[in-house]
Amino acid sequence: MLPAGRGRRAAAALKAALGEVAERRRELEQRAARSRALLGRWDDEEEERPQPQAGSSPEHEDKPSAKELEELELLNRALEKALKVRKSILKTPLEAQGARGQKWAGEAHAPKKAEEQQAPVPAEDVPECRKVRAGGKKPLLLKKPSPYQLRAPYRTDPDVKKLQRKVPARCVSQAPRTAGKISSKGVTSKQGRSHRTATGASAREVCAAAEPKETPGLSESAPNEQQSFSGGDSAPGKNSTVAGKQLLDAGKKSCGFLGEYSKKKDTAGAWGRSTSPGTGTLQEKGCQLNLPLPYRKAYSRNSRAWERCRLCQTSADAAAARTHFMERIQTTFCSPKLTPSPAEIEEELRGLQDVPSRLRQYMEAEPADPPTLQREYESLLTLEGLQSTVSQCLQKLQLLQEALESQLRLCPNCPGDVGSCSPACVPARGQTCDSADMSALPLLCYSSLQELRDLFALKVQVSMMHQEIALQKGTIMESQSNFDLEETQLLALHRQPKNPTLCLRALSNHSWSSGSL
Amino acid sequence: MSASLVFICQELLGRGKSLDFWKLLYVLLKQIHRGRWTESDAIGAQVSFVKWALWYHGYRRPQLQRLVADGSAGSRELLLAFSWLLHCPGLLEQLLARNRVQTGDETSLCTCEDDLPKSQEGPSDAGPEDRVDVRYLQWLNGRLRLQWCSLHAQHQEQCKLLHKIHLFTSGSHMDQNLGHFSVTEADLIRHPESYKQLVQLLDSETTQLEAFLEWKQLEPVYWQWMETVLDDMAEEGSMCESQDAHVEKRRLPEVNSCCPWAVKLAGQMDRLSWDLLALQEQLHQLVAQRRAAWWEKVATREELQKERFSATARKAQESIGLKLRGLTSLCAPQKNRMHGVCRLVLRNNQPASKMPLGQCVSKEAAATVSAAEVIRELQVRKASLQRELQQLQQQCRHRLDGIAEGLEGVICVSP
Repeated sequence: MLPAGRGRRAAAALKAALGEVAERRRELEQRAARSRALLGRWDDEEEERPQPQAGSSPEHEDKPSAKELEELELLNRALEKALKVRKSILKTPLEAQGARGQKWAGEAHAPKKAEEQQAPVPAEDVPECRKVRAGGKKPLLLKKPSPYQLRAPYRTDPDVKKLQRKVPARCVSQAPRTAGKISSKGVTSKQGRSHRTATGASAREVCAAAEPKETPGLSESAPNEQQSFSGGDSAPGKNSTVAGKQLLDAGKKSCGFLGEYSKKKDTAGAWGRSTSPGTGTLQEKGCQLNLPLPYRKAYSRNSRAWERCRLCQTSADAAAARTHFMERIQTTFCSPKLTPSPAEIEEELRGLQDVPSRLRQYMEAEPADPPTLQREYESLLTLEGLQSTVSQCLQKLQLLQEALESQLRLCPNCPGDVGSCSPACVPARGQTCDSADMSALPLLCYSSLQELRDLFALKVQVSMMHQEIALQKGTIMESQSNFDLEETQLLALHRQPKNPTLCLRALSNHSWSSGSL
Repeated sequence: MSASLVFICQELLGRGKSLDFWKLLYVLLKQIHRGRWTESDAIGAQVSFVKWALWYHGYRRPQLQRLVADGSAGSRELLLAFSWLLHCPGLLEQLLARNRVQTGDETSLCTCEDDLPKSQEGPSDAGPEDRVDVRYLQWLNGRLRLQWCSLHAQHQEQCKLLHKIHLFTSGSHMDQNLGHFSVTEADLIRHPESYKQLVQLLDSETTQLEAFLEWKQLEPVYWQWMETVLDDMAEEGSMCESQDAHVEKRRLPEVNSCCPWAVKLAGQMDRLSWDLLALQEQLHQLVAQRRAAWWEKVATREELQKERFSATARKAQESIGLKLRGLTSLCAPQKNRMHGVCRLVLRNNQPASKMPLGQCVSKEAAATVSAAEVIRELQVRKASLQRELQQLQQQCRHRLDGIAEGLEGVICVSP
């Protein structure tokens, strides 16, 4: 147990982080729902206002719910039985009795009380070995959510580590696929939606509970975890492959609806409600659509106004008068404005932040053994250039540090916390901003789906790393005082070398390589 | 906005409603600083925030900092401060840019640190005697990871949907630069009645822009007026300056080191310098190595010592001159670094595809950023963050090692 204050703060930080991600997921889900609705048929009767997913609410919980714990217990016991059976199979392969086998399988599926003993199982082990070996394991492992060993209070059983390790990988990989399946099927069947969402949500919940169980085991064997994530693809045994394939086919089928569905319904869709956008899907008539007139008028007036603002320059009189005023007011400042303002300091610092990375790129791009003499000379010159750049940057940084110190001498009492202080990427305007420097909203042009996906994958990774760094810093700051064993655990929690980007990459390879539309 | 602002200012001066002026500045500055405000924020907090923000933007008039915290005085000082803000951070331009109506699939390009939500230690949390099990923390951690994976998956799906919508509606938009509809616009076609507010917002933004243009016309008048205000205050000020002078001097030596913003910035600077020093060390070794090898070659090979090589040397210097110039520009502040939001636009490189004839890309009034560029930036950022994370993990490791050594009879197996 961690000391109360520290533990609570750590828990609060993690919960805040969870809340942040959950918020982003909710927003994204709303937008995705709108997009999905647009890609379906446009004459659907139902109001397409996206409802917040019912499945998202269970994820707000901070503790595993009683229901989750119950499910875990159930799965726990089922897996224990499977393992015992497996052990006994390895020891003594004997004939099985069909009835007993049925009974055992049936027992595994029925919900049980917590007091149920596991004693009956070993007694039935020997007679039903063969039956179990043949097909007993299949129902267990094919059943969604997958069983695994988890005993409250989440102790790791070294015996079952091997089996347990592979399963959560599938859990996690199922989760996004399930999400994908739910979302793509959601358009076709509204009634099924809530149900599937609930199923998916419970699958996610269980996987969520499964996932952390993974962590204690992982803190002892990181490389295995990597393997399990990337090896989730080549699933252990045919059982999970079958399960995976089933999901995949379902996903493919539902994702393929965009093409086939519209064709099918087109002929039969003549009776559709003839609203102004007409019937059919976006795919058919996307090129012929027109924005409504009021919007078009407003939009064009708006963009003309932006254009005029962009082209508008500060008149010479105004510029002169302004400069004069600025000079005068600066004479009344308590310190002459020689040093950069705090805003400018921050902006300069932001510009410097990525310089080490870029320089490293250059440095690593230089070959270790250049082929020709000229190349070698070039390489030497480049490296020397890099050296001088680094020292320039260091000098600049030194200046900035001094400037910050001198500015801080005049700092008024800072209100509240950092969040309310730091400007949101305020580009510090120079002293001369004659033109309004306002353009229309800049455009981010992408040329292919893959580019778009890479872009967003990177954005998510960068955000995640920001968050992880902040949490890590919090942990380190917490542990500045005298240490003890519990603190070791806290530190160990955060220093898992589990590479988050590897996790995402493996995941993206796994779930999206075959789920193409 | 401009005319009304001037009017408001005059009104405020006339009636001495400093309180409202403080509030006005508070709200405006909060918008720039991405803060949230409510109606019920205390005047003391408003005053201190405005003072801090003005300090942040380089405003150094001491009279402002001396204004009382209950906001009852100082409307003329605030007027001067407001004028400063009009110029220095370009208040009006920033407000217009920030509050832009979003009609497209906007996505933010900023790779800067996101603000963490404040983790409040609610009293509803575990009771005082309830100590937190570290396994609970592990569970939370695992759950967090799963959430990130799910978010990633959601984003990927959204990309596919967006791409489809952009593809299917190519050629329909009346704005040639865009070429296709966004999700909002497509939805607007489908449910026009739900988007009346959007049209209203667009219209009000147009009104604001027109007001801004009007302000630009009035600007000379405004600055001249401000000079007269300054003149008035200078006259009054010189009378009481002698009293305040020693008060001022007393305040100066006080170094305010508890400003969280400053702490954060100092931390960033420390990290950056650590990074640069490590890089410098590496480069130093590498260059020394290479130089030694080079001079060895020069000593052994006669051709290098002749002038024949100087031509080769000159060529080499030219060819990498460009590269080196690129390096020095790295240190310069990057003006084209994107912040804020951009609208996603699908643009095929082949002009012959689905776009109608007459689409000239040269008519670009908007700045365009290519996704490839942004991806490169993000990769650089990711590399920086990875290094930072590794450094922090190393710190943890060292501490763990330290702890492990202090424990007797315990063998720690590190992962």
